[in-house]
Amino acid sequence: MSLSRRNFVIATTVAAAGSTLLSACSSGNAGGGNGTPNAGATEYTGAKVTVGSKADSTGPAPEIPGAKKGGTIYGIAPDDFSHLDPQRIYFAYNSTVALLLHRSLTGYKIDSSGKQKLVGDLATDTGTASNGNKTWTFTLKDGLKWEDGSELTVDDVRHGFERAWAPFITEGATYAQAALTGKGGKWRDAYPGPYGGKHLDSIVTDKAKKTITFNLAEPKPDFNFTVAMHSYAAVPVKLDTKEKYDKQPVACGPYKIKAHTTDKSMVLVRNKYWDPATDSIRNAYPDGFEFDFGVETLAGTDRLIADQGNDQYAVSIYKGVPAERIQKVLTDPQLKKRSFNGLLTGSYYYWINTKRVTDLKVRQALIHAWPLQQIRQIYGGPSAGDFATSILSPDIIGYEKYDLYGKLTKPQGDPDKAKALLKEAGKEGMKIVYAFPQDPTYLKTKVVIENALKAAGFTPIIKPVDSTSYYDQIQQINNSFDVMWGGWSPDWPTAFTMIQPLFDGGAIGNGQNNVSQTNISWINDAIKKNAVISDQQEAGKAWAALDKRIMQEVAPIIPETFQRRFYLFGSKVGGAQFDPNFSATLLYKTFVKA
Amino acid sequence: MTPPTPSPAAPLEVTDEDSATPAKSSAPKGNESRSPGRLAWSRFKRDRTGVISAYVVVLFFVLGIAAPLIAKLYGKDPYTTYGMNTPGLLNEFNFPVKPNGGISSDFWFGIEPQLGRDVFTFLFYGIRNSLLIAAAAALLTTLLGVVVGITAGYLGGKTDYLVGRVIDILLAFPQTLFFIAFWPVVLAIFVSPEENTPVWLTVTSLILVMTAFGWASIARLLRGEVLALREREFVEAAKVTGASPARIIFKELLPNLWTPILIQATLLLPTYVTTEAALAFLGVGLQDPTPDWGVMIQNGAKYYQDDITFMLFPGLSMVIFVVAFNLLGDSVRDALDPKTKR
Repeated sequence: MSLSRRNFVIATTVAAAGSTLLSACSSGNAGGGNGTPNAGATEYTGAKVTVGSKADSTGPAPEIPGAKKGGTIYGIAPDDFSHLDPQRIYFAYNSTVALLLHRSLTGYKIDSSGKQKLVGDLATDTGTASNGNKTWTFTLKDGLKWEDGSELTVDDVRHGFERAWAPFITEGATYAQAALTGKGGKWRDAYPGPYGGKHLDSIVTDKAKKTITFNLAEPKPDFNFTVAMHSYAAVPVKLDTKEKYDKQPVACGPYKIKAHTTDKSMVLVRNKYWDPATDSIRNAYPDGFEFDFGVETLAGTDRLIADQGNDQYAVSIYKGVPAERIQKVLTDPQLKKRSFNGLLTGSYYYWINTKRVTDLKVRQALIHAWPLQQIRQIYGGPSAGDFATSILSPDIIGYEKYDLYGKLTKPQGDPDKAKALLKEAGKEGMKIVYAFPQDPTYLKTKVVIENALKAAGFTPIIKPVDSTSYYDQIQQINNSFDVMWGGWSPDWPTAFTMIQPLFDGGAIGNGQNNVSQTNISWINDAIKKNAVISDQQEAGKAWAALDKRIMQEVAPIIPETFQRRFYLFGSKVGGAQFDPNFSATLLYKTFVKA
Repeated sequence: MTPPTPSPAAPLEVTDEDSATPAKSSAPKGNESRSPGRLAWSRFKRDRTGVISAYVVVLFFVLGIAAPLIAKLYGKDPYTTYGMNTPGLLNEFNFPVKPNGGISSDFWFGIEPQLGRDVFTFLFYGIRNSLLIAAAAALLTTLLGVVVGITAGYLGGKTDYLVGRVIDILLAFPQTLFFIAFWPVVLAIFVSPEENTPVWLTVTSLILVMTAFGWASIARLLRGEVLALREREFVEAAKVTGASPARIIFKELLPNLWTPILIQATLLLPTYVTTEAALAFLGVGLQDPTPDWGVMIQNGAKYYQDDITFMLFPGLSMVIFVVAFNLLGDSVRDALDPKTKR
C-alpha cells in the first residue's frame, strides 16, 4: 500500500499529543494473541508530548539494554529521499534520514515505548519565552561541531532560518517565517534572503553568550515545537553551497554522507566530530548505514521475510508491510517477532468539492454511501487501522469521538439512507466524479467505491489521476472532480494545523490545501478565535466542537481511516521501533545484534 | 463384356480406374492431382499434436465468446464483490477463508483475495477480453506487415528505402513509453472530464497502438524473403508471361511466405496478451473492474505465497493456451511446408 504524498508532508514536528504508540509495540507483539491475527497498536495513549527539562536535554542519550556499537545497518526503500537540504525537507520520509544528519534547536526524545518528550537538541533546553510568548531565547550547547570539525555557531542556526527565504527553497514549512514577519502568506516579501548580506531583524544572536533570540510578530506559545522541524535545522554559513547543498549537505548529526548515487544507494558513515555528550536524543550504535533504493515495497518485504545475507541486518526505512503480506507477517510467530507497528498521526479523507457538490444533502448521502469497511478490507483489514468519523485524529488534543452518520454501525455503507437523502435533494442518478491517484491499492478501492455509489443511486464517474501529479491536480480550484481521495496529518500538536489549512476560507487557491474549497464565515471566525486560546485543553474542546459542527452542517469530507502500519526488520537488527513523528523506522535507535 | 444388369457401383469403380476424369481427381489415391491446400489439410489431420492443440485453442475462443452465457448458467458475474458482500468468505486479511482459494460448490474456482470476486466468471471474461484484443491486434499486425513487407520487397527502389526507414524508426521507438505518454492525450481529447473512459476507447487504442508498433518486424522479415524470391525463375517466368504485379505477389510470392508469416503470427498472439497485461499494469490498458487475463495473473503473483490457487487458474490456463497455440502454429507450418518437417 502506498502512502499519500501529503501523508509524508505531514508533520515534521508533529505528534505531540499522545503520539500513537502503544507501549507493547516496541517489543514487536502488540495487541492480540496468537489466536487473533488482528494484532497491532490499538490505543492512542492520549498523553501529551511533555516538554523536557534541561537535564533531559543533556546528552548522552540513555543506553538501550543489550545494544553495542559497531556494524552496519542496511535500509531498503522504494524511492530515494527527494531532498537532503534541511530547509527543503518537509515530507516525512526525508526526515527519516535528516534525523541522522541534521540537528535543529529542539527535537523529540523518544523512549522505548514511543513516548515523546520535547528536549533541546542544539539548544541546552527547550527555550525560554517572554513578552507574552513573543520573544523566544535559546542557548546553544558546548562542543557542537560540523563534520569538518569547525564549530557550529548561533550564526549557523540563524542561517538555517534565513535560508528559507532563498529563492530555491520552496518546499519547506512556513510557520516560523510567518511568525517572524507577521505577514502571513506574504512572508517572502519581508526579507530578500541571506545571500545579499542582510540578516533578519527579528533574529538576534549573541556569539559570546551563545544565545539566539527570536522576536516574533505574534504570540506563539508553541514556538519551541516549530523549531524542531527539520525545515529549521542549522546550516553552516561558510559551507553553504546553495542549490548544491541539497546533494551534499554538511552534517552535524552522528552520521555524514560518504556516497550517494541518486535513486540507487546511499552510504552513511560516522561523523567523528559529533559528540554524544551533546545529544540526548540519538544513540547511533551502528558504524554506518547503507541504503538501497528502488526496491518496491512488496519485493522489499519479501527480502525481509527471507532474511538472507545482509538483509538480516536490514530495515525497511519508511515503507510498511503491504496488504498482500500482512497475513503472513501477523500469523507467522517468527515473522511477527521481527515486526513493529504504530498508528499514524494523521487521517485519511475523501474531499468533497463543495463548489461542485453544493447540496448538503448530497454530501451527506455520499458519506452514508461510502463503503468504509470494504476500503479498509483492501488496505489489509482491521489490522490496517480504524474507521474515522471526524476531521481530527485521536492524536490531537481535545479529539472527541462521535458518529454523526452511523459509519461505525454501518461501515459497509448505507445505500438506503443515501438514496433517501438523494431523493429529498431531488438529485437521483447524480454524476459523481471520483478522482484518485493511480496506484494498485486505489485502483482496487475504486471498484468497491464505484459499486457502493451505484447502489446508492449515484452515477459514478471514475477518474484515475497520475500519482506523481495527483495533488497538483486536485489542488486546482477549477478542477472537475467531485470526490477526491486524500489525507492530512497535523504539523502541530493541536487541531489548528488540521482545521486551519483544510477549512479556512482564506486557504483556498491553486496549490493550497483547502481542497474541499469550504469557505464559510462561521468556520473562518471560529478558526481565528480558537487559535488564540492559550490553554491547550480549552482550545482542544473548542476545536472538537468545531470539528463536529463542520461535519454536521457542512460535511465537506468523508473521513476514512486512522491507519496502522506494520514494519519488518532483519533478524540481526536490534532496537527497531516505530518513529511516531514520521511513520518510519527510528534509525538512530537501531543496532546490530551480536 | 455384356453384363445384363450392371450394378450402379461397379461401372463407377471401373471408370475410376480406367479413365481418370478431371472431375474425379479428388479421390484419395490421386495424390499428384490434389490442390496444395487439401494436401496440407490431410497432412495436418494426421498430426495428432496439431489436432489436439487446435481443439484446445478453439475451446479457449469458444469459452471466451460464450463467457456471458457461462456466467448466466453459473449464476454469478465477474463484477460483484461477493467476498465483501457476504461475511464469512474472506478472513480479516482478505484472504479466502476456505482452503484452496475458497473453492466451494458456490465458487468453483474460488474467490479473489481482497475484492472477493468470483474467479470462475472473472477468468472467462478475462480470457474473452484479452483474446479479443490480442487476436484483433495480431490479425491487423500480420495483415499490415505482410502487405507492407511484400510490397516493399517486390517493388524495391525508393519505396523500399522509404518503408525501410519507417520500419527503422518504429523498431527503435519505445512503444510502451509512447503509449504511456499518448494515453493521457487520447483521454484528454476524447473523454470529457465529466464522463467515464469508455471501454471501447481503451480497447480500440490498445489494438491500434499494438498494431502500429507491431507490424514493422514482420514487414522487415518478409521484405528480406521477397528480395530473395523475386529473382527466382518462377517469378521471372510469371513476369515473362505477362502476369500483373498483384498476381505475382499474391499467387507466386505469398504461397512461399506462409511459413514465416504463420510463425510470426502465432508468436504475436500470446505476446500481445502479455503486452496488454503489462500496459494495464502501467495504468494505461484495461482497468478494474474490466476483467483481464494478464492483469489477473499479475495480481495472482502478488498473493502466491498465501493463496496459490488464485494464481493457478489464470496461470495454468495461460500456459495451456500459449503452448497449444504455438504447437498449433508449428503443425500448420509443417502441414503447409512438408520439407521443413522436423
